[in-house]
Amino acid sequence: MARMTQEERERRAREQRDRERAERKRRIKERRERREKGPTPDMQKTNRSILFRTGLLVLIFGIAAFLPLFHQLYVIQIEKGAEYQERAINQQTMDNAVAANRGQITDVNGKVLATSATVYDVILSPNDFAKLQERWDEAFIDDEGNIRSSSKNYYPRPEAKNVAEGLAEILEADVEKLTKHMELNSYYEIIAYRVEKEVADEIRSFIVKNHLSNSIQLIPTSKRYYPYNSLAAQVIGWVNWRNDGKGAYGMEALYEENLAGQTGRVVTARDGKSRELKYSFQDYYDATDGNDLTLTLDATIQYYCERILEKGIEMFDVQDGGFVIAMDPKTGAIKGWANSPTYDLNDPWEVTDPVLSDYLERVKAAGESGGLTDEEKEKAYNAALADMRNRQWRNKAMNDSYEPGSTFKSIVLAAALEEGVINENSTYYCPGYYMVDDTKIECSQKAPGHGQQTLAKAVANSCNPAFMMIGQALGPKKFYDYLEDFGFLEATGIDMQGEGKSIVHSRKTFEAPGTRDNTYLATASFGQRITVTPIQLITAASAVVNGGYLMQPYVMKSVTDQQGNIIAQNEPTVVRQVVSEETSQRCRTILEGVVNGGTGKRAYVPGYRIGGKTGSSETVKSGEDPIINKGKDYTIVSFLGFAPADDPQIVVLLAYNAPKPVSPGSNYTEKKYYISGGNMAAVMAGELMENILDSMGVERRYSDTEKAMIDVTVPNLMGQTAQIGKEAVESSGLTVRTVGQGETVTAQIPVGGAVIPSGSQVVLYLGEEKPTDLVTVPDVRGQTADQAQQALAREGLYLKVGGSSRYMASSSLAASQSISPGAQVERGTVVECRFMDNTMTAE
Amino acid sequence: MPTIKRDLTMEQQLAAAPLDLPFLMLVVLLTGIGVITVFSASYPTAINEGAKATTYFVHQGIYALLGFVLMYAASRINYQYYRFFSILLLGVALVLLVLVLIPGVHTVRSDGVKRWIRRIGPIPSFQPSEVAKLGVILFFSARMSRRHEVKRTQYDPNVYLGKFPAGKVMQKLEDWGFLELVPYGVILLLIVLLMKAEPHMSGTILILIPAAAILFAGGIGWHWILIGGGVIGAGLWYIIQNTSYMSLRLQVQADPWAYPQNGGYQIIQSLYSIGSGGLFGVGFGQGRQKQLFLPEAENDFIFSVWCEEMGLVGAYLVLILFLLLILRGYWIALHARDPFGSLLVVGIITLMAAQVFLNISVVTNFLPTTGVSLPFFSYGGTALVIQLIEMGIVLGVSRQIPAPKQE
Repeated sequence: MARMTQEERERRAREQRDRERAERKRRIKERRERREKGPTPDMQKTNRSILFRTGLLVLIFGIAAFLPLFHQLYVIQIEKGAEYQERAINQQTMDNAVAANRGQITDVNGKVLATSATVYDVILSPNDFAKLQERWDEAFIDDEGNIRSSSKNYYPRPEAKNVAEGLAEILEADVEKLTKHMELNSYYEIIAYRVEKEVADEIRSFIVKNHLSNSIQLIPTSKRYYPYNSLAAQVIGWVNWRNDGKGAYGMEALYEENLAGQTGRVVTARDGKSRELKYSFQDYYDATDGNDLTLTLDATIQYYCERILEKGIEMFDVQDGGFVIAMDPKTGAIKGWANSPTYDLNDPWEVTDPVLSDYLERVKAAGESGGLTDEEKEKAYNAALADMRNRQWRNKAMNDSYEPGSTFKSIVLAAALEEGVINENSTYYCPGYYMVDDTKIECSQKAPGHGQQTLAKAVANSCNPAFMMIGQALGPKKFYDYLEDFGFLEATGIDMQGEGKSIVHSRKTFEAPGTRDNTYLATASFGQRITVTPIQLITAASAVVNGGYLMQPYVMKSVTDQQGNIIAQNEPTVVRQVVSEETSQRCRTILEGVVNGGTGKRAYVPGYRIGGKTGSSETVKSGEDPIINKGKDYTIVSFLGFAPADDPQIVVLLAYNAPKPVSPGSNYTEKKYYISGGNMAAVMAGELMENILDSMGVERRYSDTEKAMIDVTVPNLMGQTAQIGKEAVESSGLTVRTVGQGETVTAQIPVGGAVIPSGSQVVLYLGEEKPTDLVTVPDVRGQTADQAQQALAREGLYLKVGGSSRYMASSSLAASQSISPGAQVERGTVVECRFMDNTMTAE
Repeated sequence: MPTIKRDLTMEQQLAAAPLDLPFLMLVVLLTGIGVITVFSASYPTAINEGAKATTYFVHQGIYALLGFVLMYAASRINYQYYRFFSILLLGVALVLLVLVLIPGVHTVRSDGVKRWIRRIGPIPSFQPSEVAKLGVILFFSARMSRRHEVKRTQYDPNVYLGKFPAGKVMQKLEDWGFLELVPYGVILLLIVLLMKAEPHMSGTILILIPAAAILFAGGIGWHWILIGGGVIGAGLWYIIQNTSYMSLRLQVQADPWAYPQNGGYQIIQSLYSIGSGGLFGVGFGQGRQKQLFLPEAENDFIFSVWCEEMGLVGAYLVLILFLLLILRGYWIALHARDPFGSLLVVGIITLMAAQVFLNISVVTNFLPTTGVSLPFFSYGGTALVIQLIEMGIVLGVSRQIPAPKQE
């Protein structure tokens, strides 16, 4: 190599470069060819296979597999989304109810009839108590079993016995029972229901004092209070806290939604371990307190209604209760509505009515002697108890229908006058009976009957034959039309639950010709063999006297929210005009005659023009009844009254069911009262209407004859001269007697402002001392008015007359006196006596 | 004609060629959404455990960043090296699968399941099955891609073992392509047995599916596919019929409310979560089901949290992103430079697709419960890193895709 020339080396290098270049060119060419030719057949096959099969994988994993997932997500999130969401929210939230306050019920003047307050259920958790003890043991017992009483926060170990005793004392409960509760394996034992706030506060401090923390809890709940206890019980109704806390019966039930308000909620988010997520979210749904209900009832009138009902029941030995309805005839607003038997709204399950509790006692006694097993006894008693409770809860003046009897004649009268088939000049002859086809229907006044009578007299006499004739004159078709128009074939639509239905034959039956089998028209003419509900009757009677307008009766006056906005109210609603103003006016005049000398005379009240109609229906009560013997002696005595007769402000309907005859078939009660509407219901109605009209501030207007018996207010003459005093007394319609020689009046009997009958004597003391000794009130019961007046005057007392208009008659005897016999009173005291005419009055 | 760039060396070409941008963007996007979702899903759990609300999120975030770095690194490696590396990785995986069964090496769990190798020094706790997945994919694709180069072996038909015509039988088996499959079968059988001992059913499935996909794409005979499908179908049917465990799972899937104690609870909670989302969701971070109602809210059931918070719209969005990723992945496989690249990508993408499908099927109660996590979403650092490395491998393949011919 060393010999190689430079040139040769260069040449070789050039050759080498050329070779390399050629080689490179060849390789590039090859590559290009290969690229242009494509892969080898084998490679090609492999690649195609991979391409094809990968494409299949794309179809499977890239598309096909995921399509159902899109669908599945759509189903879960959209189709079933709401359902899942709701379930999720259920588990995610803790929902605590916030009680709404129930609205009040007030009378028309705002007197509270029902109100609510918070009370507490006391809950014991024995298991938590046991844990409490365990924790105490851990904290205060060391390893050797010694109690570390010196350690910080030490307190004595909570023991079941102490807790039971402490609770028993606060709750006034049985220690043993509580001890048993403490031993149960439970987290929730209700040991006391509905304790008042004061008791709850005591328990709270007991819990703190004894370190009982969550083993005793107070759960707030609402309690309903009825300040007037039984007042208007069947109208107001009550809240059944034992069941669902909702209104049961009456207004409480009917206006449940309004009164209850909206229970609020606190919804708190929680996590899967049931812990509150404080900062997550918390939704408050405020409790909306219930609305207040204002009733048309007037508590005062209601009270009068209940008092008169109770008084009559006691006085007349009434066996099956009764009812009183007082209504504003112009609007249909119910002013008072009393039922008997009744109960205390604050404890609706308790049976207190004497008749009902007597029966329960009898059932109990029968059980004891009947040789029944304990279970059977209890069953029988519970069934009886349920029945009695139902009786006292019922509003019979609306739930039930009855035969209205003669009170119904007022309706027939109006219909006949309106149709012009009778007028004030019509006369009727009553032989003591009336023939329907060949059926003889007797009058209450047996043969020779009422004889010849004018229309007014026939109404005043409550003559059945006369009314059968009137019914006949009207004809069955017209008669039935008026049944319809006066609303006897339909519910009145009053806002109360469970309005009953009347029982009236179909028009077809009613209009069939009068035969032995069809005396419907005849009996209906005097209110027999049809039944109507009391509320229907009083509504129809209102139409008779108010100018002919059938009003829709109502009890709810208005619903107001807590801000006082009126949410709903009842306006007087005219259903239809049934008779003309003129007919109504004529009816009022004729019906006033019933009280003014007719069968209703005992309802007379001086100064008030009262009209009305008595009724006594001997009726066979349908169906078995465990309490009362049905049959002929079951009489409903009733009175339908309105006043003042020229411009009725109030209509009342009162009825007593089954006064007890002294012996079967007798017309008298044990206390010598004749069993009839006129002798019983009318007396009570008079007193009731006097009370109501007085409370309503209706002015008394005396007729000339009444003026003679007007009560006079004694003027106050102290310090006046004797002359002026005498003149003043005499100008008041009183007589005067002076004692002493002085010039000025130093004392007087009676005192100024006392109300005494006109014509009574006033004593003026001129310088002389007024005797200050007390006098004894004599017993004037059973005496006539004259006798009573004399007896009282002898003692220096004054008589004030109340009650019957016929007290002047020798037959009127004092039935009661306002101050009991034997009482020591000051001279000049006024004793009010009620006089009653106890002679029989047939209707 | 301009300069021919393809004349550069392989190394030069690799350095210069771009990686597949759409694929990269999808991976980054999904990982980003996933990490943020981990925050929303995990904070109640974190707080409940007394840790800071961000504990899981920070942890996952760090691993995501690490994963991105390793993904990029993986994409820069010439994937041809994996041919050799695959044998090594598979060997390591098998060793790890054995090691994990040894007490003291695996984490202690109350149910006695041995899936995790515990944290040793700086090496975090991880599942050897994750390594095995990658090992199987690499090895199978490497071996399958050489398939066409191997000549069919000729056996001497006159060789007898006693009276047994061994030579003829072997020839028949070779002709059927059975012998070719033996190495794959042995490896899979070994892995299945080892993982049965853990036990780890879902992990096994996630190894078998990409392995099957590679074998399938690699071109094994259709009859083997039919036989394989038949065997798997019969096996499944047998398991469902004869093991109370599997049949119970099916009953739970049919009516989770009837089995609140036997696995129905998590399905019920998952359905409540997804259902609560409605169309637009309750808002990110506002989900309530993750407040300890939904078990594994940050893990297997993370998609339920996402659905609750983002609604059907969000759920479809993520599903579509996954689909795009899968389709782009297969696109890369179809365009890969050589069969090895193709099969490698097919394995990895199929693995990911199977995971997404199984996870979402389970949380939507489309399939009975199996514990499969959702790629890029479920909490778990090593799994995320490995997934991102796998994506890096795919990106590495994408770099070598020949540019379209320019005429």
